[in-house]
Amino acid sequence: MAAVAVKYPAFRELGAEVLAVSIDPADTHREWQEKELSRMVEGGTRFPMIADREGKVGSLYGVYDETNKVDLRAHFIVDPRGVVQALEVVAAPVGRNITEILRQLRALKRHEETGELMPCGWEPGKPALDRSVVSTSAGRIWEFWKPRNAF
Amino acid sequence: MRIQIGEAAPDFTAEAFHGGGIREITLSQYRGQWVVLFFYVADFTFV
Repeated sequence: MAAVAVKYPAFRELGAEVLAVSIDPADTHREWQEKELSRMVEGGTRFPMIADREGKVGSLYGVYDETNKVDLRAHFIVDPRGVVQALEVVAAPVGRNITEILRQLRALKRHEETGELMPCGWEPGKPALDRSVVSTSAGRIWEFWKPRNAF
Repeated sequence: MRIQIGEAAPDFTAEAFHGGGIREITLSQYRGQWVVLFFYVADFTFV
């Protein structure tokens, strides 16, 4: 979560709130913040850290591990209407890529604003695809989108 | 239960540590803005 804390201003610039969730009690979140996170990131975590006692929230989202009694590593992007637009679950030993999550958020927002389709690896400054062109161009996408655009 | 894309995010109310204090927060209070929910395994681990 320290990496999310570093990038929190970028989430806020995109008009997004971050909510962190684990099975730890709120007092443990406080302790972690005071003893460690605030030493890793200036100001520590400035977003709410939810105490998911008994994994109730994780269960609602299908990411509570009943055997180990912990929430899995997962993220959900929820749009302003409260609808889930992206989700990912990663095995506990592997960390996520916060830059990629920000990219998904930017692409979702751009799609919402313009209706354009956001191709593989899209980032601001790269070409988006016009929905009407795509729908009438089956088999000819190669003419106006190249795989190098993804990287 | 697994959540599907395009489904309503299940609402919840829970205690949270925020801004130096502990208070209850409800997901639906953030309606009108984007929200990224980050689940993680445990405090005091690498996450």
